[in-house]
Amino acid sequence: MSGFSTLTALILVPVVGAVVVMLIPERRRELVRPLGVVLSLLPVPLAGGLFLAFERGEAGFQFVERAVWIEGLGVGWHLGVDGISLLLVLLTTVLVPVALAASGGIDHRVRLFIAMNLLLEAGLIGVFLSLDLFLFFVFFEAILIPMAFIIGIWGSENRIYAAVKFFLYTALGSALMLAGIIALALIHREQVGEISFSYLGMLDLDLGLNTQRWLFGAFVVAFAIKVPVFPLHTWLPDAHVEAPTAGSVLLAGVLLKLGTYGLLRFNLPLFPEATLDFVPLLATLAVVGVIYGAVVAIVQPDLKKLVAYSSVSHLGFIVLGTFALTSQSLEGSVVQMINHGLTTGALFLLVGILYERRHTKAIADFGGLASSMPVFAGMFLFIAFASIGLPGLNGFVGEFLILVGSYPTLPVYTVLSATGVILAAVYLLWAYERVFTGEITDPANRQVSDLSIGETLVFVPLVALIIVLGVYPKVALDVIGPSTDAVLERVEATTAYTAPQPGGTNVMASGGGE
Amino acid sequence: MTGVSYLAIAPEIILTAGAVVVLMVDVFARPSARVHGWLVSTTYALVAIAIGFQWRRVGIDGAGVSFGGTLLLNHLSVTVRAILLVAAVLGTAAAWRMLVGLRRRAAEGIALVMVATVGFMLMGASADLVMTFVALEVGSIALYVLAGIMRSSPAGDEAAMKYFLLGAFASAIFIYGGALVYAATGSTNLGEIAAFLSAVHVARPAVLLIGVGLIVVGLGFKVTAAPFHSWAPDVYQGAPSGVVGFMAAVAKIGGFAALINILTGGFERYSGAWGDGLALVAAVSVILGTLLAIQQSDVRRMLAYSGVAHAGFILTGLAAGLVASSGVLFYLATYSVMLVGAFAAVTAVSGEANTGSTFEEYRGLARRSPVVAAVLATLMIAMSGMPLTTGFIGKFQVFTSAWDGGYEWLVITGLLASVAAFFFYLRLVVVMYFRGDEGEGATLVVARSIRWVLVASAGVSVVLGVFPGPLLDVLNRVGV
Repeated sequence: MSGFSTLTALILVPVVGAVVVMLIPERRRELVRPLGVVLSLLPVPLAGGLFLAFERGEAGFQFVERAVWIEGLGVGWHLGVDGISLLLVLLTTVLVPVALAASGGIDHRVRLFIAMNLLLEAGLIGVFLSLDLFLFFVFFEAILIPMAFIIGIWGSENRIYAAVKFFLYTALGSALMLAGIIALALIHREQVGEISFSYLGMLDLDLGLNTQRWLFGAFVVAFAIKVPVFPLHTWLPDAHVEAPTAGSVLLAGVLLKLGTYGLLRFNLPLFPEATLDFVPLLATLAVVGVIYGAVVAIVQPDLKKLVAYSSVSHLGFIVLGTFALTSQSLEGSVVQMINHGLTTGALFLLVGILYERRHTKAIADFGGLASSMPVFAGMFLFIAFASIGLPGLNGFVGEFLILVGSYPTLPVYTVLSATGVILAAVYLLWAYERVFTGEITDPANRQVSDLSIGETLVFVPLVALIIVLGVYPKVALDVIGPSTDAVLERVEATTAYTAPQPGGTNVMASGGGE
Repeated sequence: MTGVSYLAIAPEIILTAGAVVVLMVDVFARPSARVHGWLVSTTYALVAIAIGFQWRRVGIDGAGVSFGGTLLLNHLSVTVRAILLVAAVLGTAAAWRMLVGLRRRAAEGIALVMVATVGFMLMGASADLVMTFVALEVGSIALYVLAGIMRSSPAGDEAAMKYFLLGAFASAIFIYGGALVYAATGSTNLGEIAAFLSAVHVARPAVLLIGVGLIVVGLGFKVTAAPFHSWAPDVYQGAPSGVVGFMAAVAKIGGFAALINILTGGFERYSGAWGDGLALVAAVSVILGTLLAIQQSDVRRMLAYSGVAHAGFILTGLAAGLVASSGVLFYLATYSVMLVGAFAAVTAVSGEANTGSTFEEYRGLARRSPVVAAVLATLMIAMSGMPLTTGFIGKFQVFTSAWDGGYEWLVITGLLASVAAFFFYLRLVVVMYFRGDEGEGATLVVARSIRWVLVASAGVSVVLGVFPGPLLDVLNRVGV
């Protein structure tokens, strides 16, 4: 292990940043925002360096750091990164500065706002890096507080209701998971002799099918609420709509991924037998989510709500891919986590900018905006295409992999959820039509200023990543593939399940656990 | 070591002497607040030193009993003293302005705080039911008087009267339980009871178990376990806010320490029976406390009911038996600090004597006093059991040992109640931070002693929440 621990630094730098921002004296308040953005940029090179130094083709955890945290309880400060978490960490570090840079509209308690965002970032990164279930839970739960503050203080009219609902809903899920974690640690003590929360240690435990089912249930509720899987999604529209732009960006961009990440990281490898039992249920809920989210998005009169429901639909795809249990579907799920973070993050930014200018989010209030703000309209269309899955942009790669990968094992579900791709085009393009095309009917829409240069710059990293991942997804797949394959191999090795080989021709023929 | 060991009661001797000195100096010299401050600080410092010596002695010689087998000198009793001392120091500082504000009766108030501490310290060290009863009364009577010490306040009188009547009732139940145990075993000494129970098979243990049950009920009153909690909200609301935190904390510490001593010291043999009983009381406390706390519109009543739930969580750990004791002590110690801190914040917001403290008074507090709001928010988050606070570590430990002890249902109940509890803890945060943006209301001026308590309690709750290791190491040595 090197003297400089990058992973620990990734978690601590935002925390230190938050403290620094809070310490800026009142009379230098003009410094707060620029300094905040600069501080939020510090983790980017760290994560970038991690990405470059990451050993491709390796499935296991890299840059592992291990130290004792609370000896009496068997808790370790155990961090590591693999193909599944690396890109999510990178995504988090990119989205936070983008969200902060786009938060010019925040005009009160700016220090607290920036500090809360930075603390949120630390928590999110911590969740992705934790290899100790106690540590994971600490981060998983701790992020509720900054997020609730962000919604509750800087949100719109119904913010308090939304913040409390968000908090209670997600806390309910994690409470059951805590029981599961305690049970796992005690099983570890029974089988190994000492209490431990180490993820890698948990993988070696011998859990009976019944135990696996209970524990799978405890974990899946926590993650399904976070994703959110239909019918546990009701907190999401409120939280998204009431949150300030930065909150929505991080909520949709990263927070929801904690759920899908958790399913992939914990449910599949730790409880493989139970996973197989639960496939029909989760695949069904995923498909329902895909279609329900899309249909509800179509009829939304509110632009922000439309984007919010589109998340329910998109994350349904990810859940489907996760439980389809094939090499491509798992890979596609992780890619889609990144994609959704980029595109939905960008969509929320756009809606936020529009709201700042017009103080309305109702689609009916717009119309013909393309003539008054052409750059904005172009940007919206570009992001919408990425979200719909236009070939050449990132969304296509993820959705294609998920659909191709899911078909061999879950053909009916896959066909049904493929309609979600079409519905996505309906709600996004129809929204585009109503907002941007046609004649300007409301004179207020004539005066709206276009994207400024600064605002356009905020989108640059997102657009660049959308194009890179669309044109050359190999950069991501090389990192993701080995790790998702390892998850699949583990499921195969511990159960009677055999994943169909790429190409899907030899579903019946393959016999090995490769 | 069954003779007389003055070291075994050195902290109590010093505190009693301190109380007497404070009263005597007051009679002859009419001292200023400054002189009182010096006397109190010196006394507490000496007590801390005595506790240090006790800890060292126990480490060298091992545990022992003295005064005819009535007083224990072991790691548990020393730890309980240390926790009580912390509560007393923080509580005195939080109440300082109120106490000094009593003018001619300042010494009286200070002495009562010290005497109450003596009583509950002895409760934690007692190895004899009669001794426990005497200690309980010493501590409780001092608290009854403290509740009504502001004579001008009718609500305070009502609180004191209610506290006294129900407290006396609880004491009676306790001593009746002790009498039944004596009838069944022929002794009030815990060691002798344990020896008797291990030597003799009690064919019909009904009298014995009813006796133990009544003892638990009597102590349940003191620790505000449901359904014996009904006095707490009225007393917490009516008593002067300066001392409420202290009153609530020390009564809980003493009560739980006595419960641990009695149940594990005397009735280990019947741990299955009382374990299930405690689990039941724990579940009722957690559920009832949480549900009632949700409905409160007064912060003090909310804290009282949340205290009922917290008593339930501590009982959750106790139900699981011996393994839990270090977790229980951690919970007790850290919760006491939160409790004193929270009431110090209430004092800062509503004043020393004020009888109510509605949520409305906290509206926009984050603007009027960022420090008090931040501290109170931290304490609420800690009480709710969010990670990175002592509340989480405490809950985690009691849940783990309860799960380990086979009380899975109790853990699930506790976890779900914790989620429901977020509702009222968060409510205070919401009122302070999310509302009141209008910026109305003058900046809150907070007394220095209270500010000190606020920062210390929030600091302890976070620092020990992130790095609980050292405290856990110490408590693990207690191993009752």
